[in-house]
Amino acid sequence: MDETLQALIDKAAKQVDGVKTRAEFEAFKARFVGPAGELTAAMKRIATLPKEEKPAFGKRINEAKQALESLFDDCLRAISRDELAARIGPPVDVTLPAPGDPHPGSLHPLTQVRDEICRIFRQIGFSVAEGPEVETEYFCFDALNTPADHPARDLQDTYYFPESAKFGNISKNGTERNLLRTHTSSVQIRTMLKEEPPVRIISPGRCFRRDTADATHSANFHQVEGLCVDKNVSVKDLKALLDYFIKSLLGADARTRFRPHFFPYTEPSFEVDFASSHLAKVGSKWIEIAGCGMVHPSVFESVGYDPETYSGYAFGMGIERIAMILHGVDDIRYFYQNDHRFLKQFA
Amino acid sequence: MKLSYQWLNKYIDLRGKSASDIEDALTMIGFEVEGVDETGLPPLENVVVGEVVSRDQHPNADRLSVCEVRIDDEGNTRRIVCGAQNHKVGDRVPVALVGAVLPGNFKIKKSKLRGEVSEGMMCSARELGAGDDAAGLLILEQRPPPGMPINEVFPDNDTIFDVEITPNRPDCLSHVGIARELAAVFGLDLLYPELKHNFDDHGTASPDVFCKLTVESDDCPFYTAHVIRDVRVGPSPDWLQRDLRAVGLRPINNVVDITNYVLLELGQPLHAFDAAKIKDRRLIIRQALEGEKIVTLDEKERALHPRMLVIADVEKPLVVAGVMGSVDAAVDEETVDVVLESAHFRTQSIRWTSRRLGLGSDSSYRFERGIDPGNVVFAAQRAADLILDIAGGQLAGPVMTCGGVTSIRNEIHLTRPYLSNRCGFEIEDSKVEEIFSALELSATSRINDRQETEWTVEVPSFRSDLDSPIDLVEEVIRINGTNNIPAAPVTSTGLERRDDPVYRFNAKASSYLVGQHFAECLNYSLRSGDELKAWFSQAAADKCALANPLSSDQTHLRWSLIPGLLDNLKLNQSRKTGLKRIFECGHIFRERDGVLYEMAAVGFLISHDERSRSWRTPAKPDFYTAKTILASLAQLAGHRLGDDLRPVSGSISAWLEGHSAEAGDLMESFEARMGLLDPQFLSVHDVEGDVIAGILEIRLDKVADDGEIRRFTPFSLFPAAERDLALLADANEPAETVRQKLAGAAAKSCGDAFSVEEVRVFDLYEGKGMPEGKKSLGFTLIFRSPERTLTDGEVNAAFTATRQLMAEAGYETRQ
Repeated sequence: MDETLQALIDKAAKQVDGVKTRAEFEAFKARFVGPAGELTAAMKRIATLPKEEKPAFGKRINEAKQALESLFDDCLRAISRDELAARIGPPVDVTLPAPGDPHPGSLHPLTQVRDEICRIFRQIGFSVAEGPEVETEYFCFDALNTPADHPARDLQDTYYFPESAKFGNISKNGTERNLLRTHTSSVQIRTMLKEEPPVRIISPGRCFRRDTADATHSANFHQVEGLCVDKNVSVKDLKALLDYFIKSLLGADARTRFRPHFFPYTEPSFEVDFASSHLAKVGSKWIEIAGCGMVHPSVFESVGYDPETYSGYAFGMGIERIAMILHGVDDIRYFYQNDHRFLKQFA
Repeated sequence: MKLSYQWLNKYIDLRGKSASDIEDALTMIGFEVEGVDETGLPPLENVVVGEVVSRDQHPNADRLSVCEVRIDDEGNTRRIVCGAQNHKVGDRVPVALVGAVLPGNFKIKKSKLRGEVSEGMMCSARELGAGDDAAGLLILEQRPPPGMPINEVFPDNDTIFDVEITPNRPDCLSHVGIARELAAVFGLDLLYPELKHNFDDHGTASPDVFCKLTVESDDCPFYTAHVIRDVRVGPSPDWLQRDLRAVGLRPINNVVDITNYVLLELGQPLHAFDAAKIKDRRLIIRQALEGEKIVTLDEKERALHPRMLVIADVEKPLVVAGVMGSVDAAVDEETVDVVLESAHFRTQSIRWTSRRLGLGSDSSYRFERGIDPGNVVFAAQRAADLILDIAGGQLAGPVMTCGGVTSIRNEIHLTRPYLSNRCGFEIEDSKVEEIFSALELSATSRINDRQETEWTVEVPSFRSDLDSPIDLVEEVIRINGTNNIPAAPVTSTGLERRDDPVYRFNAKASSYLVGQHFAECLNYSLRSGDELKAWFSQAAADKCALANPLSSDQTHLRWSLIPGLLDNLKLNQSRKTGLKRIFECGHIFRERDGVLYEMAAVGFLISHDERSRSWRTPAKPDFYTAKTILASLAQLAGHRLGDDLRPVSGSISAWLEGHSAEAGDLMESFEARMGLLDPQFLSVHDVEGDVIAGILEIRLDKVADDGEIRRFTPFSLFPAAERDLALLADANEPAETVRQKLAGAAAKSCGDAFSVEEVRVFDLYEGKGMPEGKKSLGFTLIFRSPERTLTDGEVNAAFTATRQLMAEAGYETRQ
C-alpha cells in the first residue's frame, strides 16, 4: 500500500480517540474526506499518474476510503451511544420503589361481591335495575302488600323524613311520607310500573334500617334483589335459580335448602340456607343466605299485572352478609372503616 | 317463643321423636328453631338408684375403692370399682349398669380395673348430664329406693325449643298450635285438652258478687266473663309450676298460673280479677280518659291516653286491656271470688297501646298479632275448668258476654291447574287432601265447569292468614316438604333490556379510578347535622334532616362524598397505612330552591404531604390533576366537563379559593367540583398535608344511556400545518377566554378554503419581562384541509390575518 495512504489512515485512527461530539466528528471527517480533505487530495493525484498505474492506485484509494468509512461509522456509533446515555441517564436500580410508591388501586370488597352476584344473574338473562334511596311509603310498603300498621313500617325500624321534606326526583301522594328504603324491592315496583312482562331484573343497592350499629348491624347496608315475571313461573323455577346461584357463588359442592318463611310481598315465602364444605369456617352447617318467594298476587294487582296470567318470583340477599361469609370477615364495621390494610386484601 | 317437649306431649305423642327430629321438622315447616335447651336428665336406660352396701380399699390402687352396690329391692348387688372419695356405706347413688350409655356416648361395659372386676359405674352429676358437678358421686339425699330408674328420681327432664313464630302465624303462639303443626308433618293424632266440667250447667252459687259488663269501645268486639266463687288461692300443683318454669315463667298462685298456662296452651290471653276489688260489681270496657293513670303489675305508674282501651270499674281503670293488669285488681292470697276475662281486642289498638307505653307482655304480643276469636270461649272454659279442679270453688251463673264472634265463613277455591302451575311439579290429589285434613282445613273436591279438579277449602277461625288460593299452595308445599321440590335446570329466554345507566357508569368510573391507583371506600349515607352546617350551611342541614334519627352522628342525608372520604383519610393517616388516593361511588343529595335532588356521585381524594419522604420527589398533584380525572369521569357519564369552570359558589368553605372550581348545573344534568381543599379547613378536621379532591354529581336520570349506535365521521388524510403564536393578555383573564377568541379569529381567517382544526394553549409566561398586569399565552394552531395539502402561502396568509384580528381585539403578539 501507498505509504502516504497508510500514514493517512494511521493518523485518522490516532485522532479518532479525541472525537467526542457530533461537531468534532463533522470537522474530523472533513479533514479527510471533505473537499479539502487529505484523502480527497490524494484522490486528486490519480490524474497525475501514468495510465497503467491508475487502476492499482484507484484500488488502494478505495481501500483507504473503506478503512476511513469504517472508522467514521464506529466513531459516530460511539458518539450516538454517549449522547443517548447522557440523555437517558445512568442505569437504574430496578429494585428501588417507584417514587411516591403508589399502591395498586382496589375495588371495595362489597363492590366486588355485588358485581359477582350481578354477574351470576346477568349470565342467565337478568339485567340490572336501579332506583332512588329515598323512597315513598307507596313504593317501599303499600305496593308490596305491607299494610299501614305493619311493624316494619314503624318509626322504630324505618327512617322517615319530615312531612316538609321535598325530593325533586320522586313524587309522593297526599300525606305519604318520604323514607329511606328498607329494601330494594321498591325498584321492582318502579320497574313493573314501567315495563310489561316478561321482566327479569336484579336490583343491587343501598338500604337502611333503624338499627344500632354493632358487629352484624349497620345503619345502611347493601342488597341485591331479583324479580322474574312471566307466564308459568313456578316454585320449581325459583328453586332451580337459587341452586344455580349458590353453586355459582360458593362452588359446585354447595347445597341449598328452602325453609318456609313469611314476607308480606311473597307467597309462598322461603328463607334460603346453604351448606358448603368449601368454606373452611362454615363447614357443613346450614347458613342462611337469602329470602325468596313467589310474588304475592296483590303485588301484581298494585302494578297492573294480571295475577291469573302471570306469576313470578322474587329474591333478595344482603351483600355484607355474603361478603362476610365468603371472606371470613367477622365484623360488619370493617366494611365502613376503610382501613387500607383491610381494603388491599381484596385488591 | 319457648316450647316444652313435655308439655307438647300432652297433645301429641312425640315419644318416638328425638329433639333433633322435632327441631328439623319445625324448621322445615317454617318455624325457625333459634335454640334447643336440654334441662334435667336426658332419658337414660339401665341407670338406676343403688345403695352402697360395702366399701373396701382396692388391693392394687390407693385411690380406688371396691364396692358392693345393691341395685334392686330384691337385694341383688353389683361389684363396682370406684375412684370417688365422697361416698360411704349406706349412701344411695346413681348407678350405670352394664349396657347403659351415658351422655357423650359413654358405654358402660363389664371390665377389670387394676385386676378387680367392675360391673358398672357409680355416677357424678356431670356424668349423668345433670349439671357440672364432677367433684364426687351424686349422693341422693332423698333416698329413693334401690332399683328405681334414675329418670324417675329426676323426672324433670325436658327439651325447650326456642322457636321463631312469623307474624302471619299467631295461631302457633301456643303449645296446641305448634302441636297441630307437628301432628300434620309427622302424621300423628292431635289431642285437644278436654273439659271435666259441664259448662252448660251453671252451678248453684249465686253470681251476685258481680253483676254487670258494659263495652263502650269498638276496639273490643267480644268480651266474656266467668264468675267463680269460693276459690282457694294458693301455690299451684307441681306439674303446673313445672310447665310454667320450663318455659321461663315464674309461678305466682294457682289462679294466675292457670291463666298463664292457658295462654301458653291455647294462645288466648286471659285475665283474672279479684271480684272483691271491682267497685260496684261492674266492669266497663272503655277508652282511657285524658289524664288517667294506672299502676301496672310491674309497679310502674303509667299515664294513659284516650286511644288506649282499659277495663275499668266505676272508679278507675283496673287493666290496660290486653296488655297488663294493675296492682289494684290482682288476684292474691285473700281472693275468694274470681272474675275471669277472656276477650277479643283489636290488634291495632293493642299494638298502639303497647308501643306507646313501651310495655309488652305475653298477652299484648298475641293480641297484636291477632288471636283466634273462635277460641275465646273455649279458652275461658279451659281455664275455669282448671281453676275448679285446682283451686276449688263453684261456677257462679252463666258466662256474661258482650259482643260476639263475627265469624265470616272463609272458603277458598283451589284448582288443580293453578296448584300444578304455581308448584311447577305434581303433587297427587290424595296427598293434597291429606295435607288439608292434617291442617284441619276441611276440603271437598269436585270437577268444575272447565273439567278441572277444584277444591273448596273451609278455613278454620284460627287460620286468619289463609285467604287466597296461593295461600293454599303454600300450605301444600310446606307440609309436602320443600326438600321434595325437584331439582331442575335454569331455563332463560333472552330479553333485550340494558343494565341501568347508573350501574354501568359506576362500573366504568370505578374501573377507571382503580386504574389510577385509587382505593374504593364506602361510607355511611347518614352524617351529622353539625358537619353539614360546617361544610355547607344551617339551611342545608335543615333540608335533609331525618324525622327519627337513631344516633346523633347519623341524623342527616349526606350532601357530598368528600367528608366521608376525609374521615377515611384521617383514619388511614393516624394508622399510618400509607393510603393516599381514595374514591367512593354513591348517592348524595343536593338542594335547589328548597327541593332535594338525589344524585349519583363519584368523589375522590389525593393526599399530598410535603414532609413525606421519597428517594426521588414524585410529581405534586394539584388542581389540574383533579381536572384531568373529572374530565374523564364526566366523559364516562356521557357528559363533557365544559368550558364553564368557575369559582366554587355559595357558602361552601371547604374549597381553597383560587385553587378550585365548579362546573355544570344540577338542574341541567350534573355538577362537578374539583381542586385543593382549604388547608386551614382541613387542619380543623385533623387531616395532614394537602388534599386534592374532586366530585362529579349527576342526576339519576341524566347518566347517558349510550345505547345509540355511533356513526363514523371521515377525517382528513392530508398533512396538517402548525403555527405557534404568543399573545399578551391581562394577567387575570382566563386562558380559555383568549383561546376561544383566537379560535374564532382563526376560523374567520381561513374562510371556506380550509379549517383550523385545533387551537391549543401550550405555554404560559408571567413575571419578568412582562408589562405590568400582563401575561403571555402561547398557542398552537393546527390548520388542515379535507381535500388537499395546504401551501405555506395560504396558511401564512390565514395566520397573518388571525394575528391581525387578535391585535384589533387588543391582544398584542409577543415576538
